[in-house]
Amino acid sequence: MELARIEILLEDYFEGNTNLQQEAILREYFTGKNVASHLTVYQSLFVGLDFAKEEVSQRELNLPASSGISRNWRYRIAASVAVVIGIAGFIFSGSNFTQEEQEALLAFNKTKETMLLLSSTFNIGTEKLVILDQFTVTKNKIFKIIINQ
Amino acid sequence: MQQKEFLDTLLPIKDKLYRLAKRILVSNDEAEDAVQEVFLKLWSGRDKIKNYKNPEAFAITMLKNYCLDRLKSKQASNLKIVHSNYKNSENIERKLEADEGVTLVLKIMETLPEKQKIIMQLRDVEQFEFFEISEMLEINETTIRVTLSRARKTVREQLIKQYNYGIS
Repeated sequence: MELARIEILLEDYFEGNTNLQQEAILREYFTGKNVASHLTVYQSLFVGLDFAKEEVSQRELNLPASSGISRNWRYRIAASVAVVIGIAGFIFSGSNFTQEEQEALLAFNKTKETMLLLSSTFNIGTEKLVILDQFTVTKNKIFKIIINQ
Repeated sequence: MQQKEFLDTLLPIKDKLYRLAKRILVSNDEAEDAVQEVFLKLWSGRDKIKNYKNPEAFAITMLKNYCLDRLKSKQASNLKIVHSNYKNSENIERKLEADEGVTLVLKIMETLPEKQKIIMQLRDVEQFEFFEISEMLEINETTIRVTLSRARKTVREQLIKQYNYGIS
């Protein structure tokens, strides 16, 4: 009785005339243990189709963020990355700066040396001016004598 | 539409989309790519999703079209689809015969014409009603029944052939 019903359903199934309930009956019968020996070939069909439904996607979806919170979160990450890059850039290019600084220091020292040299020469000049002062004193003395006469 | 609401509506059909994509494109990777692409498309048009009576049917239509386009461009560029292995290791409890059965049935399904393959997947694996499949594929129900019958009969024929070969 049961078997006869299954055979009829099977016929309808292959004609595309079964509804979902009838197909569920077939599936239940063929995935069960008591399948009639002359129908075992259909067992793999229904077990296979049933099995196929168990396959699932393994990959996570990747959707662009939309909500305010997560956007804010992204900005924070971007800002942090910028800061880190800035600091790292400063640290890694630090040696360049000191080299430049050293050059500047060298230039400064050279200039200072030159200036000192120049000023010492000036001092020699001013020492000579003392003689000129003596000249003025003598001149004044002479002029005083002339005026008094 | 917020991401949560979007995912609540569409995440339940992710695996259905994946299985259909896999049936059409065969490769796991390509199927995953297709699902990702379709979800991105749905996401960018998320405000319109509410206007559709049946977002699920809409998503499946979109996926089907995407996969068929992929297939076309692939055939045009003369690239062979690399077949991937069926991994059923997670269901160790099942009998070994079941493993062989599923591999065989799916392999036979692979040889079907695209339309038959898609209809058989939607009906016999995902168990959609004929009117739903009709909506998804924009084909009338009678044509769907005829196509499905053809597909089932081809699978039966091939199974019997394999079965007899196995016995003798």
